[in-house]
Amino acid sequence: MAKPIIVNWKGVQSSFKITKLDRSKLYGKRQRQVLDPGGDRCERAELTRDGALLIRTGMTAQGYFDGEGTWVPNGDLVGLDKAGEPVPKVASTLGAEEPLHGPVDPTEVLDLSIRSVYILDPEGLDPDLQKRLLGGDVFRFAFNYRADYNAETAFLVGNKSGFFALVGTPAPADWCELETVAQETFDDDDDDDELDFEMF
Amino acid sequence: MRKIHLMNEASRDATIVIDTVKAESGPTMGLPGKKINFRRYLAATDTGLHEALVAAHGETYAQALIDGDPEIDVEQVGKFLTDTTPVFLSASGEVLHVSPHLVDVIFGPDGGERERKEASNIPGNVNDETPVRWTGRKLPRGQAITRFSFRRTIAVKHVDGLTYDFLYAMAKSLAEEDAMVMLGGGSKGKEPLIFQENGTPYRGFLEGRVDGPRYKLLLHLSNLELRVPDGAAS
Repeated sequence: MAKPIIVNWKGVQSSFKITKLDRSKLYGKRQRQVLDPGGDRCERAELTRDGALLIRTGMTAQGYFDGEGTWVPNGDLVGLDKAGEPVPKVASTLGAEEPLHGPVDPTEVLDLSIRSVYILDPEGLDPDLQKRLLGGDVFRFAFNYRADYNAETAFLVGNKSGFFALVGTPAPADWCELETVAQETFDDDDDDDELDFEMF
Repeated sequence: MRKIHLMNEASRDATIVIDTVKAESGPTMGLPGKKINFRRYLAATDTGLHEALVAAHGETYAQALIDGDPEIDVEQVGKFLTDTTPVFLSASGEVLHVSPHLVDVIFGPDGGERERKEASNIPGNVNDETPVRWTGRKLPRGQAITRFSFRRTIAVKHVDGLTYDFLYAMAKSLAEEDAMVMLGGGSKGKEPLIFQENGTPYRGFLEGRVDGPRYKLLLHLSNLELRVPDGAAS
């Protein structure tokens, strides 16, 4: 079980157990299944270009290799910035006290590119903080699930249903100006939009 | 860039462009001063998979792996994989040479199957003849962020002077109200927004900000309420 989120608001500590909010637990899910002529489920596989090898689930792996084709163990890798310089490793924030900042403006939360949402189960919640959260105030704190090179930002929110942590990376949009007209191009930069068969 | 056919509160519509707002990419994994590549490779062949090893050596085959490396085909394992073609295998493990039958299966929150039906393609609805329109539902920004998790944000942008005025006015009125308006697709303007065929349906909330002559008109997309599932602890 993951360590708790511990936050400090005005010198008082609050602690929450965390569970990832899974969409399928709220709404169920829709899955597209592929059936063979007998009505049984098919297995997805791959065929190499020369047709010589059928690749089934469990037959592949992936990793980093240098120019000579030598495998580089994950433990040797470090985080690099855009200039290729090493960046410091960021410790996990779980189980460690993090100060709360705020209340923040709602636009700060709207500018977050959310990666995960956690349900927070209070283990010891400061009554003042609880009141602020249920009144609609939102607070920011540093979050990092496990020690790595990519620290994230989290917002602590509350509503009638419970308390939640919205975790992600700030992604403020650019301002639009009259002189800067969006150019229509034939490049579709949204090609990474996933085909998702899970519907409402 | 993609387009959206958008109607404002006064039922004026225009087709403008949209752009996904993306977070700046963080640090990448690597070795300082050395170029490395992330590659996919063959780690086992058919005979090295669990079922085959059980058939050949029994359920407890660990010692057999240590003694003779039967799971490694030295001629194949380690090959880099680049260009492959997806195929489907029938239940008997044969490559399917006919079109498979597609069904959509709906599962409830408890994981149980609720419905099974022929698969159908659901078209996108944001760049249709019918514009995406404002519903009557507005929420203060502060309330929206405590009720929904917004998974994606789309920036709505002008393509000329006329559409600048159109979008600026929308952004200004929403900013002044400190509200987000829910957008709806389809003829009645009540359907969730689908940006491409079979894409994820989202509830879209339009938010506006202005700074002098500059504006941001952002369509925040959500398919997740901030709600504790029944039976979950909180």
